[in-house]
Parts: sequence; C-alpha cells; structure tokens
Amino acid sequence: MPLNDTGYAYAVGRIRALETRLLDKSKLERMIDAPSAEEALKVLAETEYAGAVAELADVHDFEIILRDEISRCFALLLKMSPRPELIGMMALRYDIHNLKVLFKAKYLGVTADLLMPAGTVAGEKLKTMVEEEDFRDLPGAVRAAAERVVEEFAVNRDPQAIDLNLDRVLFARLLESARAARSAFLEGLFLRQIDLANIKTFVRVKRMGQDREFLKKALLPSGLIPAGRLASLLDEPLESLIAQTAMSEYAAVIGEGVRDWLEKGTAAHLEKLADDYITAYLQWGRRSPFGFEPLIAYLWAKEIEIKNIRLIMVGKINKLPVEAIRERLRHVQL
Amino acid sequence: MFGIESGIVLALLGAALAVGLAGIGSAIGVGIVGQSAAGVVTEDPDKFGQTLLLQALPGTQGIYGLLTGFIIMQRVGVIGGGLMLDLGMDKGLAVFMAALPIALVGFLSAIAQGRAAAAGVGVIAKRPEELGKAIIYAVMVETYAVLALLASIMLLFGIPLP
Repeated sequence: MPLNDTGYAYAVGRIRALETRLLDKSKLERMIDAPSAEEALKVLAETEYAGAVAELADVHDFEIILRDEISRCFALLLKMSPRPELIGMMALRYDIHNLKVLFKAKYLGVTADLLMPAGTVAGEKLKTMVEEEDFRDLPGAVRAAAERVVEEFAVNRDPQAIDLNLDRVLFARLLESARAARSAFLEGLFLRQIDLANIKTFVRVKRMGQDREFLKKALLPSGLIPAGRLASLLDEPLESLIAQTAMSEYAAVIGEGVRDWLEKGTAAHLEKLADDYITAYLQWGRRSPFGFEPLIAYLWAKEIEIKNIRLIMVGKINKLPVEAIRERLRHVQL
Repeated sequence: MFGIESGIVLALLGAALAVGLAGIGSAIGVGIVGQSAAGVVTEDPDKFGQTLLLQALPGTQGIYGLLTGFIIMQRVGVIGGGLMLDLGMDKGLAVFMAALPIALVGFLSAIAQGRAAAAGVGVIAKRPEELGKAIIYAVMVETYAVLALLASIMLLFGIPLP
C-alpha cells in the first residue's frame, strides 16, 4: 500500500466540490432552447457565471466572461496543486496558441484575435517579442521553435511554418514533461492528442491535394499511429484509412468524423468527435481519490464547458437553427 | 540487564507497540480524510458535519491499540500496583506476541480505512444523500481491526501470569 501518494487529497476533495458546479446537460439544453442570445445569457446567470454575467454590458462581449473563467480556473488549480509545475505544463498550450495568433497577425496581416490570458507568459510580453523577433525570454525549446518560424518564413513566405514548428515543440515538451513526471496517464493523453491532430492534418492535406512529402513534413512525430503509416495511406481512397483503423480506438472518430468532413467540407463534426474522445479518455483517471488526474480532467471539463458556451452564444447571436447548435455540442460527462 | 527474569521489558514493549503503531496508523488515516474533507469544505462549508463522520472512522484503531495496551499494563501490574519485575522471559515474550495482532493490523488497516473514507468524502461532495453508503465502504475495513483486537485480547487473557 503506497503511503506517500496522498499529496493531492485536498486538491481532489476541492475538485469534487467544484465539479458539481460545472454546467450540466440540462442547463446547456435550456441555453440552446432560449429564444435569443440575451435569454441564453440569463440561463448562464443562474450558474457559477452569475457575477460575470451581471457585469457584462453587451451580449456580444460574452467572450470576456469565458476568457476570465479559464484564467480563474487555472489560477485556482495552480494554487491548490502541491506540484504546480504539472498544471503549469498544461498552460504551455496557451502560450503556443498566443504565439500562433501573434505570428499570423504579423505575417498574414490579419488583426490578432483575443489572446488567451492563462499562458505562462503575459500576452503583452509575447506581443513585443513577436514584433521585435526577440525570443530570449522564452524557455529553450520554445525559443528555438519561434526563431525557426521567423527564419523559415523569411525564406519561403509559407505560413504553414508557424503551425508546424509551434505544434511540434508544444507536443515534444508536453510528452517530455509527462515522461519526467512518470505519468502514463498524461503521456497517453498527449499521444492521443497528437494522433487526433495528425488525423486532422491528414484530411486537410488530402483535401488540398498535396503530395506525400508535404504530408510527412506536416505530421507530428511520435504519435500512437506512426506518421509513416498515415503518410502511406494518402494516395489511397479514404476507405482504406477507415478500414485500417476500424479496429483501433479511433474507429468512431475516423469513420464518422473524417467521412463527414470529406462529404460536407467542414471539420466541425470531426472536432466534436475528437473532443468527445479525449473526454472519454480522461474518465479513466478522473475517479482517482488522491492523484493529480482529477485536476487535469477538471481543467479539460472546464475547457469543454467554455467551448460549449461559446458554440451556443455564437449560434444564438447568429440565429442558427437549434439543431445545428445541438449537433456540435460537446458531450458533457459529470 | 536482559537476564532470565527480564520478561517485563518485552511485555512493556508489546504494550508500547500496540498503542504506538495503531496510534500512528490512526493519525495517518484521520489525516488523509481530513485533507480531502478540507478540500470539499473549502468550496462547500455545509458538508462539515458529514465529512467529520467519515474522518472519525480511522480513529478507532488507535483506541483498540490503547485498550490492548491497558490490558497488558493491568496484567503485568503497571496499573494496580505490584509490577512484575521478575516476570520470566517466556511469559514476557508471550505477552509481546499477543500485542502484535492489533499493533500490525491496527497500523495498516487505519491507513487503508483512511483512504476508503477519503474516497467517500468525494462521494459526499457530489451526492450528500449517499453518506450511508460512503460510510459502509469505509466501515468494511474496520472488521479486520476488530478481529485483530479480538485475537490480541484472547491471547492476553490466555496467558497465565502469576
């Protein structure tokens, strides 16, 4: 019987209480069925978001609530975790997201989307770094990746360099820290996220009609599905990818999601299935009474909740039909 | 010092282990449940009473250990006068052995019970109405502490002391 694994007992107890306040399916359904965006927001005002909703001046600014919520959630997890570095590691994806947004704004001349506030480096600081192309303050591997983006873009003006380099360093770092923490649970999570990202890349490249060399460069290494195997399937009909993966854990994601994407031309359904897949994977560690797994699972549940609220609010503001919103809604498992 | 008549040392060592090990186990067990409960109560102070019930469960092993310790003290004359300084080695060793069941089982079962009760605190956080079930899971562990106490007491009373 291990005697020293109870370090997370307090944090997990707190998570158990917090989990009861996540939006359940019935609240989300009520938001979907609301006649207008304002009415949907009123449902949100009955929940944990009450304070934030009360301060909101305009329905269109709902994104502010969501951004505040994720950084509040992050700060809370960091504070109650006996090993904050494990949670901090999860914040790396926000830094990478912010870097991507800033690079795209700079190179493609689009206005920058809102930056995620929960990253390890403040958004303003990242902005200056990207503007001045000086990444000295970033951790080693991330810095190298950012510098590579600048170099490669200068050579061939290809915006693909942004996503390629940054995703690669993100997952390399995540896997590295999962292995350092000796957590099969985290490693499994990141490996599956790599696979799902690769499956999306595969379909995107197939739709663009690019060749195998291009795909090989775009795929992330070290996933559970070897990149080489995916690449070799590029020139074959989609059916062979579905047949090859029918016995794997991704059968539903690929069978349903990829087919849907190729037929309807939108990745929405695949994105939903991929998120639901990760939700299902996290159930594996969620019930542990002492480990850090429930913290990771709670963070994910919060991210899914925020995605769902965003889906509903965007749908309501744009007056999308109820069915269209509902079919994109991520599965909620409480 | 350890002559043929130093059995009293072993008998007292038995008492010390029964009280000490079972007490340490209970302290660890109650501590684990306390951490989980504090987490829940941070977010939901109304759950204090229910979580306290669960926290008390791993405390019993310490009491069983103390009870065994008292019986030994009474039998060798620490309590009631007439300390048996001339207790034979064989008798002393027998008393020591009699203390082992509750010392060992008390130590480990209290920690195991603490873990089960801490998991039960998680149940209370979500479903306060299921307190009874959460308690039953933790109480199942108690069985083995009670069995060990029973064995220790039967052994102690079976040893003929002068």
